Amino acid sequence: MGVRRALARLATRSVHVLVVEAPDGWRIRATVERAVRERGWSMALSPGGADVLAVCGEPRSDLGKAVAEVWQQLPGPRVRIELRDADDVSARLDEARDQLLDTTRQQRDARERPALSERLDESGDDMDMDGDDDMEMAPSGIPLAEGAEDRDGLEMDVLHVRLGVALPYWPAGLVLRCALQGDVIMGAGVEVAVDHQGDDEQDRVARHVDNVVSVVALAGWEAAASEARRVRDDLLGNRSEDAARRLARLQGRVQRSRMLRWSLRGIRPLGADDLQRLGLPSRLVGDTHDRLLAMLDHAAQLPDCDAAPESERLSAEQVSQLVIGLDVATARLLVASLDIHTVSSGARSEESHAH
Amino acid sequence: MPTDALITVAPTWALVALLVLGAFTTAAAMLDGALVARANGAPGGAMRPFAEASRLMLQRRRVTVEADRLLWRIGGAGLLVVAALMVAVVPLGRWTLFDLDVGVVWFNAMDVMVWALVWLAGWGANSVHSLVGGYRFLALGLGYELPLMFALVCPAIAAGSLNVGSVAAAQDGLWFALWMPVAFAVYLVGVMGFSVWGPFSPAIGADIAGGSRAELSGVDRLVFNAGRYALLAAGAAFAVPMFLGGGAGPLLPGWAWTLLKTSVVLAAMVWLRRKLPAARPDKLMEVGWLILLPAALLQMLVVSVVVVVRG
Repeated sequence: MGVRRALARLATRSVHVLVVEAPDGWRIRATVERAVRERGWSMALSPGGADVLAVCGEPRSDLGKAVAEVWQQLPGPRVRIELRDADDVSARLDEARDQLLDTTRQQRDARERPALSERLDESGDDMDMDGDDDMEMAPSGIPLAEGAEDRDGLEMDVLHVRLGVALPYWPAGLVLRCALQGDVIMGAGVEVAVDHQGDDEQDRVARHVDNVVSVVALAGWEAAASEARRVRDDLLGNRSEDAARRLARLQGRVQRSRMLRWSLRGIRPLGADDLQRLGLPSRLVGDTHDRLLAMLDHAAQLPDCDAAPESERLSAEQVSQLVIGLDVATARLLVASLDIHTVSSGARSEESHAH
Repeated sequence: MPTDALITVAPTWALVALLVLGAFTTAAAMLDGALVARANGAPGGAMRPFAEASRLMLQRRRVTVEADRLLWRIGGAGLLVVAALMVAVVPLGRWTLFDLDVGVVWFNAMDVMVWALVWLAGWGANSVHSLVGGYRFLALGLGYELPLMFALVCPAIAAGSLNVGSVAAAQDGLWFALWMPVAFAVYLVGVMGFSVWGPFSPAIGADIAGGSRAELSGVDRLVFNAGRYALLAAGAAFAVPMFLGGGAGPLLPGWAWTLLKTSVVLAAMVWLRRKLPAARPDKLMEVGWLILLPAALLQMLVVSVVVVVRG
């Protein structure tokens, strides 16, 4: 018993936290990331790798249901915390650690959680999201994939997959429904887009830098991502001199990296006429690498200029149009490079396809 | 061939070999933890792997809907086994466990097994991101594997043997890493490739939510992670007889030089992990076929000419 206790204590030095961000929750999420970093903990990339589910902001409309679903996927011992205020993040994370160590609580949670079969029965009604009735060949409620012609005109299985909610570095409040062939998105529609009004102007620079974090982290460049997170945290902590110095250094580093340029070049290039056709702001011109550099420039210049900000609001529909034809990973890079602050909702849209 | 310099030890020494591999695996994880902590200004660096191991040992093993459990677990746990099989042919100074005539081919065969394992780990979970991770590893493998094979052939041609001990002995005075640097560099790229490491780890990248290991939890995740460090350590250890003169060196005994050289190569690869952006598989495939492969072939030509001229 003593050994187990000691191991459990040791384990809490390396807690992994998965974040679900509601549309108004980005500051809380940034605070969580910082607190996690300072404790020597880690951010989880998927429910399977997480001990703590941190819900940042208020998950309205359909997001609440999705959060419940994500919660069921944490392996356990597990703790869920709801964060509504950036100021009590630290205290809540401490509580979460204590709850992870609370054996009685964890045993009760393990006994009471529904078995996989019960969860499948429960969700069986809305499992078939397209509303067809071809359910007879459906092991565990998963309908068999249908085939369709792929990019090369060959028959290939189509999988319907939702992207969003508990996906790190993804815009808050947006869930896309994608038709995948292999890892290529052949069609995409908007499943959920939670509208949100309160765009607070004071943190705009930090918000841009936060989006820079997303792009470099998705590009797999951890050293630069750590650096960018520090810039963001300095900005949020009102240490603007440190932030400006670090930001300039980060900018130089990103501009100089040949490997990053090589990796991001050519991902969804958008010309002036494309932007006009799709109704996108002119700051998005170029490919993903250009957009990353523009984001950094913008963040560096913003404190000095009073020009009216260009819209950082994109509609969910626009995002869904842009990802079609890309593979999942490049689509993630593209979406991060759009420097979205707010996703505005339209109506739920059907999947539209490339051909 | 001068293999008489090597002494094949009793199979029970395999336990010692496993302990040494385990020590390198742990040390690599500790160094990685310390580097991460330093970059984040956080506490607990070198102790991190121990905290992480306890966390995963206490965590429940979750199963996804309709997972192919057997294949999934073979994929996750197999990496450690492959790493252990790789070090079986690496001589420690004068001793070796397994003095195989075709040791170089054996190593190559083991690293190709990683293709199957990472793919199975991705496929078995029956989950999208996991499966995409599997696809991406295969695409990456197409980029690095052929150059790696030719890089391994270079020292073998120069030594006129596929026996690892003979290759080490052939570097009398001049390390192969010095006069075939391209092959050495390509070899290191290959090692990071099959260890799903650093810039060559898009199979478990953040852009696909953790990819092949997205659905792993508990002890399954622990063995997968440990397997990556172990593969990196095995790759570093194999570089020593192939490119760095084996146990040759002044003052210290052969086994000590082998361990020392392994540590240096391993530390360099661990350090590199966070420094570079990931090579996306489609891009790496271009580089692999248009740059690495011709470079490795040219290197092989140079080596062959030198061998012929020397007679």
